[in-house]
Amino acid sequence: MNAILKLFAAAVLLAMAHTATAATVGPVTDDLGVIRIAKGAPIQIGGYWVLSGADTALGLDEKRGVEIAFKDVGGKVLGHPLKLNAEDDGCNAEGEQTAATKLAANPQTVVVLGPACSSAATPGAPILWQQGIVNICTACTAPALTASTRKPEYAGFARTVFSDSEQGKADATYVHNVAKAQSVVTVHDGSPYAQQLQQVFADNFKQMGGKVLSQEAIAPTDVDMHPLLTRIASEKPDLIYFPVFTAAAAQIVRQAKDTPGLEKTTLMGGGSLLSADFIEAAGPSVVGFRIGYPDVSPEAMGKNYPKFVDEYKKAYNEAPISGYHANAYDGAMLAIKAIEKVAKEDKDGNLFIGKKALRDAVFATKFDGISGPIACDAYGECSQFKASVLEFTSSDPKTFGIGKNPKKIWP
Amino acid sequence: MMRRAVLIGLAFGAGAVHIAAVGVLLAMHQRWIIVDALSLGQGALLLIAGGAGATAGRPLSGLLAGAAAGVPIAALVVLMSFVPLHAIFIALSPDLLDMLTLNFGLSAGVGILIGGGAIAGVLGAALRATPAIVRRAIFPGAIAVAVAGVFQELIQLIFQQYEGPIGDFRDFLYTWEGLTPQGAVTIFILTALCSEVIGSVWRRRVERMAVRDHRRERMVRAGIALLVLALLPAVAGSYIGQVLVLVGLYILMGMGLNLEVGLAGLLDLGFVAFFAVGAYTTALLTADASHALAHLSYWAAMPVAVFLSIIVGVLFGLPVLGVRGDYLAVATLGLGEIVRVIVQSDFAAPLLGGAQGILQIPKPQLGDFVLRSPVSLFYLTLVASAAAAFVAWRLENSRLGRAWMALRDDEDVAQALGINLVRSKLLAYGLGAAFAGLAGSIFATMLTSVYPSSFQLLISINVLALIIVGGMGSLPGVVLGSIALIGLPELLREFGEYRYLFYGAVLIVMMRLRPEGLWPSDVRQRELHAADETLALDAGADAVPAQPR
Amino acid sequence: MARFNAVDVVLWAMRIAVVAVVVIGTAGTLIKGRYNAAQWFDFVMFGLTIGSIYAQIALGYTMVYGVLRLINFAHGDIVMTGAFAGYFVATPLDRSGFLESHPVLGMAAILAVAITVSTSIAVLTERIAYRPFRRVVGLAPLICAIGVSFFLEQTFRGMFGSAVKSYPEPQWERAAFHVLGFNVPRVDVLVIGLALVFMGVLYLIVQRTRMGTAMRAVAEDGEAAALMGIDVNKVVVFTFILGGAMAGIAGVFYAFVYKQVYFLMGFTPGIKAFGAAVLGGIGNIPGAMLGGFFLGMVESVGPTLFLDGLGIPAPYQLRDLIAFTLLIMVLIFRPQGLLGERMARRRA
Repeated sequence: MNAILKLFAAAVLLAMAHTATAATVGPVTDDLGVIRIAKGAPIQIGGYWVLSGADTALGLDEKRGVEIAFKDVGGKVLGHPLKLNAEDDGCNAEGEQTAATKLAANPQTVVVLGPACSSAATPGAPILWQQGIVNICTACTAPALTASTRKPEYAGFARTVFSDSEQGKADATYVHNVAKAQSVVTVHDGSPYAQQLQQVFADNFKQMGGKVLSQEAIAPTDVDMHPLLTRIASEKPDLIYFPVFTAAAAQIVRQAKDTPGLEKTTLMGGGSLLSADFIEAAGPSVVGFRIGYPDVSPEAMGKNYPKFVDEYKKAYNEAPISGYHANAYDGAMLAIKAIEKVAKEDKDGNLFIGKKALRDAVFATKFDGISGPIACDAYGECSQFKASVLEFTSSDPKTFGIGKNPKKIWP
Repeated sequence: MMRRAVLIGLAFGAGAVHIAAVGVLLAMHQRWIIVDALSLGQGALLLIAGGAGATAGRPLSGLLAGAAAGVPIAALVVLMSFVPLHAIFIALSPDLLDMLTLNFGLSAGVGILIGGGAIAGVLGAALRATPAIVRRAIFPGAIAVAVAGVFQELIQLIFQQYEGPIGDFRDFLYTWEGLTPQGAVTIFILTALCSEVIGSVWRRRVERMAVRDHRRERMVRAGIALLVLALLPAVAGSYIGQVLVLVGLYILMGMGLNLEVGLAGLLDLGFVAFFAVGAYTTALLTADASHALAHLSYWAAMPVAVFLSIIVGVLFGLPVLGVRGDYLAVATLGLGEIVRVIVQSDFAAPLLGGAQGILQIPKPQLGDFVLRSPVSLFYLTLVASAAAAFVAWRLENSRLGRAWMALRDDEDVAQALGINLVRSKLLAYGLGAAFAGLAGSIFATMLTSVYPSSFQLLISINVLALIIVGGMGSLPGVVLGSIALIGLPELLREFGEYRYLFYGAVLIVMMRLRPEGLWPSDVRQRELHAADETLALDAGADAVPAQPR
Repeated sequence: MARFNAVDVVLWAMRIAVVAVVVIGTAGTLIKGRYNAAQWFDFVMFGLTIGSIYAQIALGYTMVYGVLRLINFAHGDIVMTGAFAGYFVATPLDRSGFLESHPVLGMAAILAVAITVSTSIAVLTERIAYRPFRRVVGLAPLICAIGVSFFLEQTFRGMFGSAVKSYPEPQWERAAFHVLGFNVPRVDVLVIGLALVFMGVLYLIVQRTRMGTAMRAVAEDGEAAALMGIDVNKVVVFTFILGGAMAGIAGVFYAFVYKQVYFLMGFTPGIKAFGAAVLGGIGNIPGAMLGGFFLGMVESVGPTLFLDGLGIPAPYQLRDLIAFTLLIMVLIFRPQGLLGERMARRRA
């Protein structure tokens, strides 16, 4: 019995001691450990996005962006094939934790791309960084992730997508200075993303001298917006700002048209509505509806963006289905460039990558991506944000095209 | 008889069409069982045809049934080629057409489907006719190959860390993509031999034992299984540990709901509310956030969380004391939903964090050692589950437990016998809630954050389903149910989209085929099959079966 | 005697709390005087519209429960199947302009297809998932129903995608009548009117035809009915046909009102409609209709009337609370419902 207990304890302790430690393997010495990739073995890049459920388009679009990036470099880096291990995190915290743990448990994972949801990145990035794995996020926009006050366990986290602190400020600037609205009402749907974005917006708007009449909330599955809209109508705002998701936003857009008192009120939504699904869901009322989103017009995007769109169409038989594929492409490119910079080969053809060296390389790499110039600051914010506002022009979902329907109306 | 075979085949074939139209078939096709030779999707189709054949019985009927099983799919293929179904049914894509016809084109494809179905049907029927000894060898072998192939990523993950002879063996069995043909054959032969040898030894032992030792035998087997489970994360790594933590938490909750539903017969669909209370209490008392109420250590917060859960459980139970049966299910569902809405609302946000939840919850600390890794949290969950299991076991055999069982059978009679209904019911709610609160507490520290979206109705349904599928009223059943309904889908996350489809199908099938669950308590089994016993007795069987000599 | 005190205290506390919320909220809202008469009328109209849909769904629950003593958890999803089927007819009709020019024929086609699909699925689920449990007591039938619910939802998601689909919005639907200075949307009148017609037909079927009488007999006492020579299986199938048809119609109407169709749309309305059925008295057909209308009104008028006046931030997030609280109050305080009597006693 004693022997069994001792064995048990030993096994437990062994299993618990499982973090990144300094090591020298082959020609590379690194503070956080070294990954050895045998000759001919693939370089394993992890990915976790929302790949099931109502928001599938979001995650799938990004995964495809990464796959095209791999294809563009010929599927190989330094003679080793690239392998994407994509996990589904379901856009919730537990799914995220399981996905990240699985990727972190694989000692061959070099770098991880994703996730799509900010609430998923919060538990995920520290798990990965504990093993010294860098997490390049492709669609999580929560301000706290790259704030200067972020905790050390996020030191390995970078993102090629803008921060909502920028988006909210830009939207407030537009609403106050360009749309000349004096009073607004905001609506969120209980998701961390929407709630945070409208809060940033409201704070900035108030600072500029505007009035926030009230901050409302709905449930994402709500269908009947009459009471809410009637109440808002009674407050007589100039503009309603609701960065919520497709189903609820479509209901608001439809029902606002029929609500007496809101006929002249401007409606504005957020980047999650940049899809053909939203046009279908909102029907004829979508014409004239605006959303705040970074500038993705061909002039503002990198010059290779149209080429990317063509490749996407050829590979998947449809145009990009959501808004963050370019960020995902750039995230993958960032990872690849960093790997190329720090990987060392020995005479047998085995590849060695130092983890801390890789992290430093990711944070130091600069290039022109297809979503704009990529250059990371000390806290992992790698994308340069350019604000814009888009407006939908037609209610036919087949005419969906970023820059066409919706088209840019500002700046 | 021929008609029956054809009907069986058509029914199975309709099932195949269903999984094709839903998209599961194509998703399964992306996974190999044997690399470049047999995909999971193809395996599924073969299994369907084989199953039709086996159900039909005789080889000739099997042939007919298998062929008939191929007909609906063949019809689908023909239809897909001429009618643009893809516009409506998004899963009927050109890729699916290619898969079904094996890239051979329409007429050859139809021929392959029906012909292949017929062959599989004959094999299925033949398999059923073979002597038990052959079947006992083939089935474990086939299952082992399937598991080795489908879970290849996971198995390779576990064996990543080993070089040397084990590493070489692994390379023989697997490539980066999956199981090799020689690997499949090797595993099949090995498993068949092992199961045959071990199985026959075991069987001889069992035959020689008296009835009383049967139970001991089962206990020993359960004990070994549990030990393997407990040591698994230490060997297999942090991913398995993470999955097992979730499994463990659901086991905890399952034991709690078992008290309410299995013993006391109180159908509670609002169970997630207690889970939420435990999680939020722990969060509010330990988090490093501005609106936290205190900054205690985890070990101080956990008892408070459990205690608060008990109180909430009692408060829940008080209004619904008079409600019975299905109505109670819906009433508790409503209560659970009310808690969920409040937890997410802006109204309660100053205290509960609203949509942003509560972040920065610290991990538990034992002196200098922080329980950070999933494996260490798994052992925490294991200890908690063991303690809870002990409490549950003692309760089951106590006066209170017996009062609950009387309550479940007939409330009025129980009251007439002098059992205090109010006290018993409230204790059931309270103690059940305590288990859930404990689980919620560990959940909060595992995720280091609580978001309101984590507390949906689905969790209550999950817990209820797992105790029903595992076997109500039995502790081993809860463990088995949790592994089956929580552990497996986590491992099969790739099919995440279809998880709930399988879930629903499993629930229906389980309830039809084995309503007492996978590992029922003896009491339950007797209850559910009491009717069978009566029928058997009427037909002349002995009341007590003769003992083997 | 001790038992009397503790439990009753809590129950009385609940009653008082709910009444307080209602009274204070209403007072607050009326004092603030934010809304004019036209807006209140709008809420009431909408409440009647959605109430008629809930009534139709509740009928399915109540009939099945009366005959089988089973809460058909999957009934809400059958509503969804009807809405989906209708969508695939409505969209091409709208695109070709047929729906605009021939409203009656168009609606008839949509409803016909929806009814066919929803009824077939209802009968199928009865045959496969519910019939084996005819004699079983305990939780198995309920779990099976939950399984069927999941299965239907995910099947439709797999087949048609998880994106939200929109119903067309033809011109004749968008106009409004002007009555006594109030704005009455045409779609509301359409839905309420047609719903009343269909429910009336159902009532006649149940009261006047042989099958309907057989149904009532089985609901009252299944064994006695079987002894009298009634084929219980046939009656059950008939019940599911009627319930499924109602569900299909309700699905199409729901989609015309709310415009959105997606695979999860049926679950929550289903649960709420069950509450309505209980409110009216389970097993009681006029009761289900009454309960449905009442629930619709409470849902539409309630958030504004009660929650707005309480000064809670973002009150509309809490609107589901109203429906669920109503459900719980009914189940606790009056399980026999407004019009029913013996059903609940027997159940308990």
